[in-house]
Amino acid sequence: MKLSYKWLGEYVDLSGITPEMLAEKMTTAGLEVEGIEPLAQAEGLCIGEVLECEDVEGTHLHKTETCVGEKTYQIICGAPNCRKGLKVIVALPGAKLPGGTIEAKPLHGLESNGMLCALFELGVDRKALRQDQIDGIEELPEDAPVGETDVLGYLGLDDTILDVSLTPNRADCSAMWNMAKEVGAILHREVKWPDYEGQADIGTDTDFQINLKTDKCSCYYGKVVNNVKVGPSPKWLREYLNAAGMNSINNVVDISNFVMLETGQPLHYYDLAKLKKHEITVVDDRQLTMTALDGVEFEIKTGDILITTDGEATGIAGIMGGEESMIDENTTSLFIEAAHFDHASIRRTSIRLNLITEAAQRFTKGIETPAMAKAVDRSVQLLREYAEADGFEKTVIAGETGYVPQVVTETLSHCNGLLGTSFTMEQVVDTLTWLDFRPEVNGDEITCHIPSYRIDIDGTADIDEEVVRLLGFDSLGSTLPEMAATVGQLTPVQSFRRTTREMMKAFGFNEIVTYTLVNEDYATKGFNPVGEPVALAMPMSEARKVVRTNLINSVMEVVQYNEAHQNSNLAFFEISKVYAKGKEDERLAIVLDGDMQSDRLHKYAIGGDFYALKGIIMTWLSRFGFAESRIRIAENQMDTEHFHPYRSAELYLDRKLVGVFGELHPEYAAKYDCKRVCYAELSIEPLLTAKTGRIRFTELPKFPSVSRDIALVVEKSVSAGDIVKTAKNSGAKILVGAEVFDVYEGEHIEAGKKSVALSLTYQTDHTLKEEEITSAHQRILDNLSKRLNAELRG
Amino acid sequence: MSDRIEEVRSQALQAVASAENLDQLNQIRVQYLGKKGLIQDMMKAMKDLPKEEKPAFGQKVNVLKSEVSTAVETKQVELAKIATAQKLERERIDITLAGDALRLGTTHPLVMIQQEIEDLFIGMGYKVAEGPEVEQDYYNFELANIPKDHPARDMQDTFYVDPNTLLRTHTTAMQMRELEKAHGVKPIKLICPGKVYRRDDDDATHSHQFMQCEGLVVGDHVTLTDLKGTLEFMANKLFGDGRKIRFRPSYFPFTEPSVEVDVSCPFCNGKGCSVCKGSGWIEILGAGMVHPNVFRMNGFDPETTSGFAFGVGLERVAMLKYGINDIRNFYLNDVRFLKTFDRFD
Repeated sequence: MKLSYKWLGEYVDLSGITPEMLAEKMTTAGLEVEGIEPLAQAEGLCIGEVLECEDVEGTHLHKTETCVGEKTYQIICGAPNCRKGLKVIVALPGAKLPGGTIEAKPLHGLESNGMLCALFELGVDRKALRQDQIDGIEELPEDAPVGETDVLGYLGLDDTILDVSLTPNRADCSAMWNMAKEVGAILHREVKWPDYEGQADIGTDTDFQINLKTDKCSCYYGKVVNNVKVGPSPKWLREYLNAAGMNSINNVVDISNFVMLETGQPLHYYDLAKLKKHEITVVDDRQLTMTALDGVEFEIKTGDILITTDGEATGIAGIMGGEESMIDENTTSLFIEAAHFDHASIRRTSIRLNLITEAAQRFTKGIETPAMAKAVDRSVQLLREYAEADGFEKTVIAGETGYVPQVVTETLSHCNGLLGTSFTMEQVVDTLTWLDFRPEVNGDEITCHIPSYRIDIDGTADIDEEVVRLLGFDSLGSTLPEMAATVGQLTPVQSFRRTTREMMKAFGFNEIVTYTLVNEDYATKGFNPVGEPVALAMPMSEARKVVRTNLINSVMEVVQYNEAHQNSNLAFFEISKVYAKGKEDERLAIVLDGDMQSDRLHKYAIGGDFYALKGIIMTWLSRFGFAESRIRIAENQMDTEHFHPYRSAELYLDRKLVGVFGELHPEYAAKYDCKRVCYAELSIEPLLTAKTGRIRFTELPKFPSVSRDIALVVEKSVSAGDIVKTAKNSGAKILVGAEVFDVYEGEHIEAGKKSVALSLTYQTDHTLKEEEITSAHQRILDNLSKRLNAELRG
Repeated sequence: MSDRIEEVRSQALQAVASAENLDQLNQIRVQYLGKKGLIQDMMKAMKDLPKEEKPAFGQKVNVLKSEVSTAVETKQVELAKIATAQKLERERIDITLAGDALRLGTTHPLVMIQQEIEDLFIGMGYKVAEGPEVEQDYYNFELANIPKDHPARDMQDTFYVDPNTLLRTHTTAMQMRELEKAHGVKPIKLICPGKVYRRDDDDATHSHQFMQCEGLVVGDHVTLTDLKGTLEFMANKLFGDGRKIRFRPSYFPFTEPSVEVDVSCPFCNGKGCSVCKGSGWIEILGAGMVHPNVFRMNGFDPETTSGFAFGVGLERVAMLKYGINDIRNFYLNDVRFLKTFDRFD
């Protein structure tokens, strides 16, 4: 909120406290001051009178003779309202304005010794000005003292504005009176509110009826005020409204705004003559279009709180009044509305209509119900004094305020116990007294009577907070919690992730983190989605519409980005949750684009192909103790849209699907401007639930092993896996290893066949005899020949 | 004949001495000591000598033989050494050529910070809690003392899926799940790191997705000073020794009192610099004492229970720590950015 230092001074003695000092103290106490700005910034001004004014031909300019007391200057002015006899603000050469220093220089070839000013040129916020004040120079009253040099003082612009950021719990401070109380508590200075109480307790009988037809309006104060004279506001009133960033309209409207700023209670004044009946009904069951104060039409829906008279809408409750009953210069009788509307409903309506008015914001943040009476009292007082009102009717009150004074009892020991402090009873009571909490002490107990505007206070923790924020956090010590010892350790899945990360890092992969929200296509058409995607109700963009059900597209976007930025040989991994309706899965994505390791100088490379990826995955699985026998690599029949149909595989652990890996389909890769990319997306869940054996040491073999290499010619369709399996299943007990070390097709090999070189290792619990080896070896060859039609290559 | 011995000796020794390599030396050895060598010839010539001269001559030839043999052997060691040295020199390589380009991967900086915080708190007996990112309104807001239409809901604009489901806006949702699960049993010491989401347009300082880590301690006598001490520990771990902590009053619906926490600027040691905008302090997190309503709703008696909670933004920490100016870097994953974090810190 914009807080006027000068206005605040009306209630609290600020002598000896500069705006800067005040700002620091407020910030320390939790009312963060984000900026300090003078209301206007200008040096070297004076008040002048336009003695002569003639148009400069062919331009919008005027040539003036402007008198500033003893001297008269020729000043050229472009404002449309510049005219003879006008009292104006003059910035003479050397004057300093926010826009720069004024110099005497020719304008359109005519000598000009300064500038006639508009208020915004002095730094006044345009929002606080009427359109005519922005379009032209400021028109000073006829009695303005020509020659006066304290122009800012004369204009009431000699003020400083503190920009205070209020936390949602301290919305009460957006009312000046309450802010003054807060500042008083911070500075330990007495606060004086105007003597307003009971001002509205007067009036003749009234025929005005108020009906509440919705429980979203719990209470409504209405008062008819007759014989009002609408006119300009007094100078002080205009100045304070300007300081608060509001512009002055007329005395009556200004008073309603001023009282709202003082008390926090939004008010609406209706022109009584324009109400079709002396009746107001508050409803929330209408659906219609209405024109509000600013002339714009709004769609009202069922549930919106509406003010009606004789069945017709006269205002969007708590947000904006209707155009038809607006106060104007001819208004003589008013109806004052001070009501309490449901904050949630006002919030919904104002957000939907995009009508975030001062009133709506105040209702949304919460207001004390006693503020209604305060606002009506203060309205009566000011209308009588500044709008010559004298025909008051009795206040009509519909509903109940429901206000129950809040009493909170805290103990000194509990307070110090929670804070870890050792504040004395005297310190605490002093603080609470300055807050107007009227503390009563009974032994260790402190009973606080909370002022009505402090709707944020309803428990002991609130009292403790008040104490510590006002006595200062600087006094707090530093300790560590004293309690029973607890064991801190990672859960199995957390350790699993860390080990995986370390491993991937060692293989040269860069970890990436990508966005969870993706476009709809990615989630529905993507690889191996975990289920039906979770879609946002109100997405911010097409690109971030649903929660991803897989990682492939996000990861490929990173590959594409990097390729486009001249980064090559990419190796990334990501560990992330994916979601579907009612489902959650955690995935490891691995991508290889280019070589996994390569070195041109030393001429070697580990290509980023299917086998590199397979090697990583198998190492990863074995790292967690899963023996090869539990793993099945099957042909990919699940997703040949994203994967190369003949260079990818499904991976199973204990018959449970872990994921798919291999080369991506060139057409899919091309979408990301890539050629050969290898990708794996693996679900972590099956690994976490699968049992792993303990680490067991077996005695190292005492007798040497013997290896025999053979070359077999088989049909091309026979896989290496089949050959190894067949060799191992031959019943040769001394076979401890079978490994393919070369595959060859081409010259010297019959078409449709291939040569596979196999290394067989034999070992047992004694030194092998030649005949043992030969017998086992033959057995294997026989089996390979029988099962796979494999011939020993000559 | 004696002259002949002397002559052979001087020739042989000279030849050995002047041998330039092992091949030459071998030729010399054969020439003098071989079966058909000069010395053997002299032995053979002995038969023509008178009998009485034979022993003396034989002895002399033997001495000669042994002398030449020794010279050859000595020379052989010497030449072998030279040969080895020459061979090694021929094997000279350019040690300034680059070593093998072995690639080590990197941990994402956000994960690095997360693990750093995890390790610190695990050491102090905290557990690391986890929870769903697609969360119920109930855990994200209701249990956190932010009922429907509470103004604080404006503070964190939410991605709703349906009226009861949302993308969690803060890791507080996990705290609430853990509190509920505890069924009133104390103590609780946990941290909960994770991704969170808010309706923000992505720019240099805003991201619709970011990471938080919150901490929660609940016991019988947990105090605000415990919070301060704990956060001092964390600040020192994250930003280096000697950090100081400052509390400023603030507001969060789930804590009371609530504080904004500043750490003394690690770049200027609190003297004031461009990072801390001259103040000497940098705001790093929000914290407070668990609100009694939160305890009540989760089945704890606020009269006999107290606790603190804090929440830190991992991007904020990483940006400060590593001087990153644009939050989008974390999600662009440019390899050059990622490789910045390939070392122990």
